[in-house]
Amino acid sequence: MEHMPQVIRKTSPYLRRPQAKVSRMMSDVVIALIPVIIFAIYSFGWSAVWILLASTLSMTLTEAIYYWITSPKGETAFTLSNYSAVVSGLIFGLTLADNTPIWVVVITGVLGILMAKLFFGGLGQNIFNPAALARVLVAVNFATLSTYQANIPIIDGEAGATVLQTLNESGNLFNADILNHIPLWQLFTGIGVPGSLGEVSALLIIVGGLYLALRHSFEVRIPVVFIATVFGLASAVAVYQGLGIWYPLMHVFSGGVMFGAVFMATDPITSPITKPGRIYFAFALGFVTFIIRLFGALPEGVVFSILIMNMFVSAFDYFKWSNPRFTTKGSVIFAGVVVAAIAVVLVGVSYVG
Amino acid sequence: MIKKSRKVRDYKELTKALPTMRFLEPESVYIHLQNGRCKTYDLYVKEGDYVKLGEVIGIRHGGFFEQPIHATVSGTVGTVSKKLHRTGRKVDCVEIRNDFKETYHESIVDRTDQAIAELTQDDMVQILKEKSLVGLGGSGFPSYIKLATKEKIDTVVINAVECEPYLSSDYRLILEHPRRVIAGMTYIMQALHVKTGIIAIKKSKDPLYQVLTQVIKGKFPEYDIQVVKLGDYYPQGWEIEVFRNALGIDVPHGELPMKYGVIGFNVSTAAGVYDAIKHNLPVTKRYFTLTGDAIKYPQNYRVKVGTSVKKLIELSDGFKEDYDKVNIIMGGPMMGVSTVSCDVIVSKTTTSVIVLQDTDYEEQPCVRCGSCVYSCPAHLEPVQIMNAVKRNDKDVMKGLGAYKCIECGLCAYVCTSKIHVTDYVRKAKRLIG
Ligand code: SF4
Ligand code: SF4
Repeated sequence: MEHMPQVIRKTSPYLRRPQAKVSRMMSDVVIALIPVIIFAIYSFGWSAVWILLASTLSMTLTEAIYYWITSPKGETAFTLSNYSAVVSGLIFGLTLADNTPIWVVVITGVLGILMAKLFFGGLGQNIFNPAALARVLVAVNFATLSTYQANIPIIDGEAGATVLQTLNESGNLFNADILNHIPLWQLFTGIGVPGSLGEVSALLIIVGGLYLALRHSFEVRIPVVFIATVFGLASAVAVYQGLGIWYPLMHVFSGGVMFGAVFMATDPITSPITKPGRIYFAFALGFVTFIIRLFGALPEGVVFSILIMNMFVSAFDYFKWSNPRFTTKGSVIFAGVVVAAIAVVLVGVSYVG
Repeated sequence: MIKKSRKVRDYKELTKALPTMRFLEPESVYIHLQNGRCKTYDLYVKEGDYVKLGEVIGIRHGGFFEQPIHATVSGTVGTVSKKLHRTGRKVDCVEIRNDFKETYHESIVDRTDQAIAELTQDDMVQILKEKSLVGLGGSGFPSYIKLATKEKIDTVVINAVECEPYLSSDYRLILEHPRRVIAGMTYIMQALHVKTGIIAIKKSKDPLYQVLTQVIKGKFPEYDIQVVKLGDYYPQGWEIEVFRNALGIDVPHGELPMKYGVIGFNVSTAAGVYDAIKHNLPVTKRYFTLTGDAIKYPQNYRVKVGTSVKKLIELSDGFKEDYDKVNIIMGGPMMGVSTVSCDVIVSKTTTSVIVLQDTDYEEQPCVRCGSCVYSCPAHLEPVQIMNAVKRNDKDVMKGLGAYKCIECGLCAYVCTSKIHVTDYVRKAKRLIG
């Protein structure tokens, strides 16, 4: 044996899955966002570019500077290289209205990533989704500055309001007239629909979601259950009120449900760890979103519900009842919860309606 | 990444098609006097004594059992020295200098088929005990204890799944000696009064299926032995998983399969049973894979128990020049133990040595992707156990069932962040053990 290499002692296993990488997972999200970003720029022009630049740069630079200060040699978890801050920045930017002032974007972006991620200890330690938190900061602090506009004028002077806002303001939540302004196909494709940068085109979001599903870069159960829950609860209301299929479809295709379900709720760091847990979590998200829509009249219902449910993730994962497999007991309880949720919604509707 | 993943690249193409090389004649063999289960021993011979192949030269004492120690070559006894065992610890080994005559001990006489047909369970248990047969798949559990079961057994399962990457010695053993394996199996069936038997192989190993079914049809027509093909995933070879997929029997953690009417043996063990019953021969040779990406000529060997791995590596033309650092792994690359030097000895239970390029995987923070949870064959939540270990919260470790971990290594294999999750779970097992 002429060549005698050094023998290193390790512990098993000695092999690792070659394709598994955090940076791959995160860059996949960026790739999935590309159609949405292009469409945002197409619809909103330069303002979309500036907002996305501001949101992404503010978040990534904050993270970089934070680590530069706290760990000068860069030896600890400097996480920029895995694109997680870029992903948060892009997603945050895409949830904003096109006329949000840049300084608002920058302030909330910086605060969002600091409060939601860095103060918790960086990637993987955070409880709240940084993009959702930043978006909620905008909604809470700068509400009047963020109304929605599209570059295509909306008929009947409804400019500046999304479908949901219009419904709420019309005083009749179940008014089919809304469809005269914006037909469903427009809601689906996002063409000529007012709303935030990235949330308007359900079609392109689905394309991105399919890509992520094929690459196994997100948990496909979360968006599916989330959207199905919103659709299902809205359908129950539709049946109860004698409305058409347009009603649940409109709920699904408007106001960021698709975007939030595909790109925000699926953030693995801020969702439960087991398969059943993720399904329960997604159902809860759908339920809370729908309740906020019915009673709260907030266009940011989705981001609020994501933050609310983020707080309960550790409860879903609590070791005494979390289970990696579906159990009969779990399924029975879950079925009961679903029935109760429908009942709550219908009772609520009979008051509102 | 976020998915259940049980595909592990298997690298078996390196050695699968290579006929086994017979490397029977080392100059000296080193016989372990201690092992993982037996700490103390008596040696009946001293330096300079002449011993024959198969002769009892001592006895190992374990907690509940004793293991006679057999010479695996004929020759003169040398000194007792410390050598690396596959567990990574140094144990006492006695050297026997080979006289290359292969003189068999008088006790090694064949039994006639007639005589074998008359053996009862107790007789066979006695023979296996004298021949010191243990689970050759790596468990090292004494086979006679298993065979002495008083439970009512319905099915004997021979585990030929060999799901660890790189390994192909079981594969070659079946291809080259199907009759020994099946005959050994029929002896077990006879001892336990079992009518049906199953040989579990992987779907992808069709040649084994062909060989086994033909031999069963041609030579053992009176036996009801099925060859079943199981999934190509890891860890399909885990006994519990074999029973579940081949028979639909779910053996809960901590229970003996025998209670459920099944008993499992590894392929090499079945061949060992054959040698013990038919030829009254202890395990003196074993099928052995020496492979890995850092060795020049990966190869299957049939070696004397007690051969130095160093010699075998030389025979494979040594290490590749490409790598300065290697891991030397006794057993498979998912569950095996890594040693500090190539100067280790092949024991009865060493199935393989894998020489891999040493890779430092860059760990990233856990992103809670969940693939370790989705993939764990024992249905645990490895990431949560890891978090509990970091907090040193033993209640949670227990609550999450860390003790059920079979240390298959899958959680670390699949981890998106390349975290050594398995090590954390192992630590949890130790902490609550
Ligand atoms: S090593 Fe243990 S915890 Fe990890 S996957 Fe295997 S059984 Fe599960
Ligand atoms: S330990 Fe690894 S596989 Fe498990 S959740 Fe964390 S990143 Fe994913």
